Amino acid sequence: MNKIEYIGEHLLPGQIGHFLIVLAFVAALLAVFAFWKATQTDGNAESRSWLHIGRVAFVTQGVGIVTVMGIIFHIMTQKYYEYQYVQLHTNDELPFRYIFAAFWEGQEGSFLLWTFWHIVLGIILLYKAKSWEAPVLATLSAIQVILISMILGVYFGDIKIGSNPLMLLRDVTEAPIFSKSNYVSLIKGNGLNPLLQNYWMTIHPPTLFLGFASTSIPFCFAIAALWTNRHRDFLTKVMPWALFSAAILGTGILMGGAWAYEALSFGGYWAWDPVENMSLVPWLILLAGIHTNLIAKVTGHSYKSTYIYYMLTFILILYSTFLTRSGILGDTSVHAFTEMGLEWQLVIFIFVFSLLGISLFFVKNKEIPVVTKEESADSKEFWMFIGTLVLLFSAVLITFTTSIPVYNKVGKALGFAPNFSSPIDAVGHYNKYQLWIGVFMGLLSGFSQYLRFKETKFANHWKKFIQHTGIAVIVSAILTFVTSYWIQLFAWQYWILAFTGIFTIVTNTDYIYNFLRFNMKAAGSAFSHIGFGLMIVGIMASGLNKMFISTNRFAQEGLIEGFTEDDYKKNIVLLKGKPMLMSGYEVTYEKDSIWGHNREFKVNYKKKTPTGETVEEFNLFPNILYDKEFKKIAASNPSTKHYVEKDIFTHVSSLPKAELDMDYAKQIEDSLKYVFKEILLGETYKTNKYSVTIDSILRNPTNKDYKPEVNDLVVGVMATVEDSAKTLKERVTTMLMLRGADLYTFPATVTDLKLKIKLDEKMFERTFTPESSLNYKEYIFSQGQAQKVGDAEIIFENFDKNPQNVNYKKEEKDVAVGAMLSVRKSNQTYRAEPIYIIRGNEPYNLKSEIGELGLHFRFAGIDPKSQTVTLAIAQSAPKNPKIPLQIADNHDSSEFIVMEAILFPGINLFWLGTVLMMSGLALSMVRRIKPTL
Amino acid sequence: MKKIHLIGVIVIAVAVAVLMSAAGDVATYSNFEDAKKSGEKVKVVGVLCKDKPMEYDPKIDPNRFSFYVKDPKGEERKVILLAAKPQDFELSEQIVVTGKIQETEFVASDLLMKCPSKYKDEEVYIKGERKS
Repeated sequence: MNKIEYIGEHLLPGQIGHFLIVLAFVAALLAVFAFWKATQTDGNAESRSWLHIGRVAFVTQGVGIVTVMGIIFHIMTQKYYEYQYVQLHTNDELPFRYIFAAFWEGQEGSFLLWTFWHIVLGIILLYKAKSWEAPVLATLSAIQVILISMILGVYFGDIKIGSNPLMLLRDVTEAPIFSKSNYVSLIKGNGLNPLLQNYWMTIHPPTLFLGFASTSIPFCFAIAALWTNRHRDFLTKVMPWALFSAAILGTGILMGGAWAYEALSFGGYWAWDPVENMSLVPWLILLAGIHTNLIAKVTGHSYKSTYIYYMLTFILILYSTFLTRSGILGDTSVHAFTEMGLEWQLVIFIFVFSLLGISLFFVKNKEIPVVTKEESADSKEFWMFIGTLVLLFSAVLITFTTSIPVYNKVGKALGFAPNFSSPIDAVGHYNKYQLWIGVFMGLLSGFSQYLRFKETKFANHWKKFIQHTGIAVIVSAILTFVTSYWIQLFAWQYWILAFTGIFTIVTNTDYIYNFLRFNMKAAGSAFSHIGFGLMIVGIMASGLNKMFISTNRFAQEGLIEGFTEDDYKKNIVLLKGKPMLMSGYEVTYEKDSIWGHNREFKVNYKKKTPTGETVEEFNLFPNILYDKEFKKIAASNPSTKHYVEKDIFTHVSSLPKAELDMDYAKQIEDSLKYVFKEILLGETYKTNKYSVTIDSILRNPTNKDYKPEVNDLVVGVMATVEDSAKTLKERVTTMLMLRGADLYTFPATVTDLKLKIKLDEKMFERTFTPESSLNYKEYIFSQGQAQKVGDAEIIFENFDKNPQNVNYKKEEKDVAVGAMLSVRKSNQTYRAEPIYIIRGNEPYNLKSEIGELGLHFRFAGIDPKSQTVTLAIAQSAPKNPKIPLQIADNHDSSEFIVMEAILFPGINLFWLGTVLMMSGLALSMVRRIKPTL
Repeated sequence: MKKIHLIGVIVIAVAVAVLMSAAGDVATYSNFEDAKKSGEKVKVVGVLCKDKPMEYDPKIDPNRFSFYVKDPKGEERKVILLAAKPQDFELSEQIVVTGKIQETEFVASDLLMKCPSKYKDEEVYIKGERKS
């Protein structure tokens, strides 16, 4: 085959980029070796030089990766579609602000993001980890080796290692187009999924991946501590990192929930989706690790569990990565990645690091400090440890169910053919078990605050303990009872959960007040636990008590065939401009507007008292997003009214079929019976049902669906439509637009009369005469003079110092003068007024035309001396002055939306709880950093 | 016996008990024949019959979408999904429907579909002519 010389390709960025990826990979390998040697030779002179080599290698690796990211941003912003990654994730229409989102939409980009955070954290460690630097960075570099291998794009025989994000499209795809040397100029981008085109996609992945990357640090410290036998120092060093990781990972997870709630139509912030679950599980284990870390630090117990929890956190992050990226969840999750053929690499990744952790743990098992004396059952450490078991258990349960697709895969590999599916009611399944986890956590995080570490004399304190716990129980019980007036607790289990949530709020508040005496620096854990309690109450309020308010049983009865009882409860059909009552609100779908690929619906809410008075009024703007071709709806975005104590969430759940399906829309259009009518300006066309009066011809018409572009040719008509009884009067405009060679029609509709009115294409030739077809001749007129042009007599009557014309928009400093002409032909008089304008020293003129006579006038010049004017006059065939309209009166209006509105009470408690919890973690982190500096 | 051992035993016992109960929730993928026999709510994996009609008209009912699915045993059956028609439905390679058989139709409350991966199905987008 002949090699084709392609035109317009930019090969250099790809070559440099791939070289840098390979360089970074090799540098990371070198860093592993050098840091390993530096650790092994610690204390010798050669250690320093190894450490130095390690640093240089790590930084080289970092610079390499960051440069690769820069290159990818460059080719994405330049839209070099010859690169597969660019072609897949961007297109010409993609706004610059979504370039980041497009960057990490793909697997390769998100791996790069992950490695990027490792680089940032690694550099901090280079400066701050001191004696821990070499062993910690050895492991971190090893993680980098594996992560970079995911984007390596190197083949060993048939085995592909990693997927290079800088592959050329023609190298990965075979298509006839690549036989053309100029293919680059012929392709366009696929673009970013419209669903992901929002700011959440810009901020959520970086936060989540920083969370992911930060879990590596406690893992690296754990490995380093076991390796160098520094168990005691480990506890102090690792703690701020673990707290940092928990705060960031938690924020990342919750941001996902906030995204789902704010911008997607899921109708909630948590759906127990496998992808969500598998980011939650490592976080739970990390929290367990932080608790045992504290126990070990204070009492010397739980060293081993601290190691296990921290290492398990990272392994679970890898497992989660495997689940979400291998395509294994395809059947169970709505938002898993698609496979990229590197599953085996991810599996090896998990095994390598699990093995490293497990083997090191067993080899060093004997050296890990153990306290022979048992914790007493009345000590804080004992109940904290039980608490970590509850967290572990929660994680085990979630993982067990989420991993169901894995059992099928593993079973298949072993020769069975299991056919397991996730529970029929997955959400119910998770809630059922996690409810009790919540109960235990609420209780434990409540009363254990009153216990003391290393308790030996509980007998001296039991009175105080009983006193505080007892009062807290009573206060919580009362508060639970009060709460039950606000949110319904449908079953005894919910009463218990609400009680325990409130219990932990009460006890931890009491703890801050009575035990810490408002020493806020030490209050991180109390804040986090109060946050947890608020979250529980918030979840019960907003989840258990969410209410569909988009319901009007009576008004809608019979309106929609086949609506079941349940549907009536959830959806309401809103006809445009027709107020509808629902759950105490009068709602009106007022209008819709289109910009870009968005269509926004304005829905007006009026809160009514039983007597019909409006006490509150607001507008919501749910919108939908069309796909690239404007043929289908890609996403429906909600709009929410926020109050302190509740949210009103709305989204458009469906639209008329004609708007969902363009083929159907065409069918409908074809079924309309249009009549062709020609009406003169100012005249009326009447039937026994309606009348149409032409009010004016518009040279600059507007329409909500029309976005003006340069060189568009437009004409419109404004008409007044009335019904025969004259009870209804509506003004409508319909317009035509010529763009390039395509003619577009923008019809007008009158819903109540079932009318659809279109301006016929003939209007174009009746309005516009191509200037190039006209042959102007110049005539000189003095004032009052008449001249014959063809068989018409033209009189220049007077100057008009203040000329008016629809097509003339006066600007400051314009000098404009009109020539008032009267034209007589066959005993009829017509008027015309061409205008002469001087704008910024340049002369312009605005033509005037008498279509019926086919006469065109231009005001070409004035001679002030002789007081004459020069008029350029052209003749064309006379035009038909009638306005051609297509009118159909069987247009069944499809202007309605199907809307879902949900009331979420107390959702702010949930958000407040999450903020408190994360702030508590951050506060503790700040406190724990100090001793390590 | 040390307390830690006692706790260990309790934890393991509780864990086993709860996991057994949780495992009871694990379902298996069914087919239309079994769904009809049992009459219970099940999950069926199948493929969309693209040659059979798909009906969706929100003006009549925005929460009713009907189509035909072929299960692994080759049985084709009409499925009524009590929800709006999902986007890109026609492109689905595989469908999982959750529901039960009522009379002759499979009434589904939930649907998950697997669409062709865009990594596999790399189609070069060629700049098209504008359609009027």
